[in-house]
Amino acid sequence: MTQSVSDALVFEGINPMLLLGEVSLMAEPFADASTLGWLTNSVFVAAFIALLILWAARKATRNAQRVPSGFQNFFELLVEFVYSQVEQIVGKKLAPRVFPLLATIFIYVAISNWFGLLPGIGTVGFGSEATQATLTLSAEDEHIVPLLRPPTADLNTTLGMAVVFMLIWVYLTVRETGVIGFLKHTFGPKGGIKGLLGMAIVPVFLFVGVIEMISIALRPVSLSLRLFGNVFAGENLMHVMANLAEKYDLPAFVTFMASVLVPLPTFFLELLVGGLQAMVFALLCGVYIQLSTAHDEEEGH
Amino acid sequence: MDFVTSLIGKMPTLLAAAQGGSDASIFEKFGVSWPKFLAQVLLFLIVYMILSKFAFKPILAILEERKQRIADSEENLKRIAAELEEADLKKGEIISEANARAERLVSEARESADALAEKKRNEATSEAAQIIAKAREAGELEKNQAMAELKRDFGRLVVDTTGKVTGKVLTDDDQQKINSEISAQISV
Repeated sequence: MTQSVSDALVFEGINPMLLLGEVSLMAEPFADASTLGWLTNSVFVAAFIALLILWAARKATRNAQRVPSGFQNFFELLVEFVYSQVEQIVGKKLAPRVFPLLATIFIYVAISNWFGLLPGIGTVGFGSEATQATLTLSAEDEHIVPLLRPPTADLNTTLGMAVVFMLIWVYLTVRETGVIGFLKHTFGPKGGIKGLLGMAIVPVFLFVGVIEMISIALRPVSLSLRLFGNVFAGENLMHVMANLAEKYDLPAFVTFMASVLVPLPTFFLELLVGGLQAMVFALLCGVYIQLSTAHDEEEGH
Repeated sequence: MDFVTSLIGKMPTLLAAAQGGSDASIFEKFGVSWPKFLAQVLLFLIVYMILSKFAFKPILAILEERKQRIADSEENLKRIAAELEEADLKKGEIISEANARAERLVSEARESADALAEKKRNEATSEAAQIIAKAREAGELEKNQAMAELKRDFGRLVVDTTGKVTGKVLTDDDQQKINSEISAQISV
């Protein structure tokens, strides 16, 4: 048996990590890994969310009227809000091309984040031997494998979105500025310094360019880990809050009431974090696009 | 404080435990694998493509159309306001012109009415004078005729009476003389 984090933290007879939740670091497959290993609880929820979004979009646009009402009104409000944000960041020229990607990211991430707050998500499941250590369990311990898991609490999802974004980012950047333009933009001297001083600072800008390239390469990692970390932490927090009373020897009624009331503030916090993280992810993507195409945009003006 | 010190002291052990104490890569620890990754990428791409084509495109088209209509409406509103202002100015001009014209017409009408009235008055006066003159002439004529008849009758009466009283037949000269005297006396 490998040593778990909880074992490592045992201190004077009290294991503080017991206060942490029992959310697995990874999404768990429903079936045998050799056949349907890809069908994890988060993929299942992601598919459901995808269908939900497509159904809602269809409902909003099927019979679109000039004077909107009902769900079309809400959808238009959402689209208009996201579009204005995107337009502010990337400019009027790029906004129509970039908007679908950023809006999809925002909607998909927001719904995925909030989906985890629904009752039963992450809590209803079946007992199984943990395939991977959690913060409190070692790999061999029994734990509940949740039937449903928010997709953004799975690194596969966040990394997938970040990688897709980066591929589209490369395409957009090359299309807008060209390969040479991008290299000039990244490594070239800035500030219009010419002459001997300009020549002297070329190595500095080359070094800055290398740092910039490393920063670009790390963007998918930062994007995906930030979102995953926030949602995963939120899931853990909700579990901890819901199970807090169980750690103490309290009457059943008190334990039950505590499991309902204690997570309530956390619930609102997670609502906020869910929306905020979706916006952060989408806005950062917009900023990355703006940064790489800003030169072209400026020339366009 | 003891807890924190102890926690810091246990950090290496904790990190080792967090790594599972094995050589598993970070991806494995977080459950990242190609099939799961591709499944999520595929789902996201499907949502992205369908939303782009069937949701955002029509909604953006509607929003653009609405924006255009609002811009057109505002343009029309500005044009209508300008036209209204122009129409107001024109209306003022037309009204003042009409007023001037009406005043001119009224004054012309008044002048022409005055002239007509003067003319009619003059005509009436002259007609009245003519009527009076005619009446006077007719009266004079009738008076003269009556006088002549009176003289004649009176002369005849005097002649007859004189003849009967005197018992002599008056000659033409006598009659002529009597008539002349009577006429002279009547005229007086």
